[in-house]
Amino acid sequence: MDDSPILVVTGLEAGVADEDLDILKGVDLAIGPGEIHAIMGPNGSGKSTLAKLIAGHPGYEATGGSVEFDGEDLLDMEPDERAQAGVFMAFQYPVEIPGVSIANFLRTALQSRLEDGEELDLFDFQELLMERMELLDMDVAFAQRPVNDGFSGGEKKRNEILQMAVLKPALALMDETDSGLDIDALQIVARGVNTLREEDPAMSVLLITHYQRILNHITPDVVHVMVGGKIVESGGPEVALELEASGYEEYRKAHAA
Amino acid sequence: MSQATAVREQAGRKIGRSAVIEQGAGDPAWLRARRAEAWDIYEATPLPSTRSEEWRYTDVARLLALDGLVPTAGGAMAGRALPDGLRRAMEQDRESAGRIVDVDGSVVSVELDEALAAQGVVLSSLREAARAGVPEVEALLATEAVPASDGKFSALNAALWSDGVFLYVPRGVRVDRTIRLSRWVSQPGTATFTRILIVAEELSQLSFVDEILSPDFSTVTLANTAVELFSRAGAQVQYVSLQRMGEGGFYLANQRTLAERDSTLDTLNVALGGSVGRVDLNARLLGPGANSDMLGLYFGDANQHFDFNTSQDHVAPNAHSDLLYKGALDGAARGVFRGIIRVHDGAQGTDAYQTNRNLILSDTAIATSLPNLEIEADDVRCSHGATVGQLDAEALFYLMSRGLHREQAERLVVLGFLGEVLSKLPLGGVVEKVTQAIKAKLRYV
Repeated sequence: MDDSPILVVTGLEAGVADEDLDILKGVDLAIGPGEIHAIMGPNGSGKSTLAKLIAGHPGYEATGGSVEFDGEDLLDMEPDERAQAGVFMAFQYPVEIPGVSIANFLRTALQSRLEDGEELDLFDFQELLMERMELLDMDVAFAQRPVNDGFSGGEKKRNEILQMAVLKPALALMDETDSGLDIDALQIVARGVNTLREEDPAMSVLLITHYQRILNHITPDVVHVMVGGKIVESGGPEVALELEASGYEEYRKAHAA
Repeated sequence: MSQATAVREQAGRKIGRSAVIEQGAGDPAWLRARRAEAWDIYEATPLPSTRSEEWRYTDVARLLALDGLVPTAGGAMAGRALPDGLRRAMEQDRESAGRIVDVDGSVVSVELDEALAAQGVVLSSLREAARAGVPEVEALLATEAVPASDGKFSALNAALWSDGVFLYVPRGVRVDRTIRLSRWVSQPGTATFTRILIVAEELSQLSFVDEILSPDFSTVTLANTAVELFSRAGAQVQYVSLQRMGEGGFYLANQRTLAERDSTLDTLNVALGGSVGRVDLNARLLGPGANSDMLGLYFGDANQHFDFNTSQDHVAPNAHSDLLYKGALDGAARGVFRGIIRVHDGAQGTDAYQTNRNLILSDTAIATSLPNLEIEADDVRCSHGATVGQLDAEALFYLMSRGLHREQAERLVVLGFLGEVLSKLPLGGVVEKVTQAIKAKLRYV
């Protein structure tokens, strides 16, 4: 396996599009194939902005630095191009798309990856979808429901994991996927990520979280602490445990100083 | 008579009293008198102007030069092979219980399941039914539902109609499969006046799909339709209008539904084609337990202009009506929805709802939504709501973040948005056909 990092973020500065507001103030980060990185930080530290920026959210704008994915300049690409290159973001707040079934959505997503004029085989797709749902222990009827429309918080997360399982990304960004989740929903997410990692050990994960508890279910290789738009500490899982004990206050003070 | 001769002969016709007399040649006396009276009303009624609330956004004086139009006489296309566009649309349809084909305002073929005919179901050219002395036609044609006195265009239609449909389902007879009308307008610059009269007797059941198509025209071409629907006690009726005319088409329809005790009378208006589409729909709930679901779907682009004027008249107590009209507008298209719920004095226990939602896809498209309530009873449940929104940027990003191109994402959102309406009336083949037509319009590949 090629061990060169799949994602390289260098000196990234960014803010809200069309506003003079800096959120990221020089972020450096490298994630190797198969690695799980967690970014922890208090509210407003910029950790979620980083995930959205990598996925290509139009509400954020890079003002300096670079993001390379698999050797390509990600910042130059449209969100759909990034997805096709292998980036996937599980949303903190998945969007409701009334009238569009999950199956139809996923079929279109896979179709979009084909060359012009090439047609996705519907039987192959059905088979893939069934197989993926079985892997995640999901009820087949779920795929016929309209995307996130009237879903509970847990069902929305389940849907994010199913999409990830079907699209098989090289890099999964989990944008505060654990916020506001009860323990059952948290485990759905964790089990899903772990199952997909088992299947494809080369899949990298960037886990954005405010809390330590999801890290009891998904074991990170590296934990970063982000405060004030910068990564202020990186280390092993023990960093998360220290945070749990002492909170972000120390980092905040250090950063302010 | 050859087709060329027919067109030449028609070319001299104008909308006027002599055309009314010509149109009535061969009609029974009562019908000739009804036409003449309707023409008098037409002449005495001013053209609706944008100064009136109901026509504020559709300037017929500017959009439609009635004097220049050639009213079709009917009969001209009989015996000819069906136009390709019409044939293709018909081939998409599923099995039906009956089918009637109308070309340029004249019925060219009628088919009805023999078993149903034996049970007393009548599917006929309206002109022939009137001439054959069918009593329901004399009693109900342009009298209770869409009389000439209703307005300028109702009067014009009652005076000049060339043909249409008479469908009668006797008491207790249930027609499981859909009955279809397939209409085609071929001649630019013509005015076609069609009537549809449907009577569902007590405890009967039917569904009727009225599809109209045409090629693109370089001049304004009018298709005016009066639709009269009667559901007697306990009957169940579904009426679907699919308007898929080409450019230049001016579709103008007056529809009225009269629902008696414990009957269901549902409608779906789909507007995809034509340059201008104006539909006036009045649902009257005349008996306790009556129910009308009123669905509408429109998708306009380029310079298309759709105007829906709906009313829900709760005359009887304890009736239910529920309206949902959804439209997507692209290009410089314009959508107008004006709806009113009227709860009449004494109509206690009314349940009436009205929702209009619009999705704007471009900077130049416009949607106007004017819901209204007029309540004269005190024990009622009514609500109305209207929204005009743009494609949600967050939804687009969500879809694109899964790899969909921007256009694919937009199409999916539009299809889902409009699809909600179709999912409420799962009528054999209609959902697929309309979905296909929307996809074609979205240049979906």
